[in-house]
Amino acid sequence: MVKATFLNRFILYFYLMNESELIKKAQAGDFEAFSALVNASKNKIYALALKMTANPQDAEDIVQDTFLKAIDNIEQFRGESAFGTWLYSIALNQARAHLAKQKQTDLKPIEDYLPARSAEELHREGVVHLFDWKDPHQKLEDEQLRTIIDNAIAELPAKYREAFLLRYIEELSIKEISKIINESVASTKSRVLRARLALRDHISKALEDKYGTEVS
Amino acid sequence: MGRKCLDYINDLNDYLDGELDPSLCEEIEKHIGHCENCRIMVDTMKQTVTLCREGKPEKLPAALEDKLGGILKARWEKKFGK
Ligand SMILES: [Zn+2]
Repeated sequence: MVKATFLNRFILYFYLMNESELIKKAQAGDFEAFSALVNASKNKIYALALKMTANPQDAEDIVQDTFLKAIDNIEQFRGESAFGTWLYSIALNQARAHLAKQKQTDLKPIEDYLPARSAEELHREGVVHLFDWKDPHQKLEDEQLRTIIDNAIAELPAKYREAFLLRYIEELSIKEISKIINESVASTKSRVLRARLALRDHISKALEDKYGTEVS
Repeated sequence: MGRKCLDYINDLNDYLDGELDPSLCEEIEKHIGHCENCRIMVDTMKQTVTLCREGKPEKLPAALEDKLGGILKARWEKKFGK
């Protein structure tokens, strides 16, 4: 029963206090306040770490190290960003360290994702270069589809993967992301776009393959 | 002479995320109406994000969940004392 009471106190803490009060208390040395902040963010940090590394053990290490680093540096948090945003930047630094051995490639330029000829030319000739997937759920099993998506995310170079995940999975704004990854707003925008275009490309090719081999 | 497909690509995310100027949105929608490649591009870019968002939300594995509090508490007490 001890555990349940403990948990109830965390929940009570979390609901009675807003984030900035919890942070103030934590910075003054209140472990329960810090625990409430941990509980509010641990699953999101884990999900991000798992998608970044595609490795559950690495993701667990990242979660643990992120919160340990947060303890070590708690007084350095000045409240210019949300606490969660601060944690994300710590977590991404940890993830980068885990991914340091992987080679960092660049994606092709944005312009290369569309047919090179003009819309007018293509329209006149009635040429379509892009594959229209329609709804892949109609064609593939959920598990097949999941594998395609996970592979596509895993194949993105890390700096694009993190930009994409922060934007569309964690739903942060471009401005928030630019602070976390320490890039200008313009280059953050272009990174997110290139990531999305590259993912689309990868998924499109994989689906075209699969659709081709499915017996209808 | 209208704009080319490639002229729209830099605005694509802003358009899809609803952050583009309405007059530019109108222009893109008009273009999509007669350009099959760009229509497919817009549809599949939308789906790319939808598909990535699917799947159950990940939760911290129970084993780490159980020990995390203790690990953090030890570090906390080292820093702040008991
Ligand atoms: Zn076009």
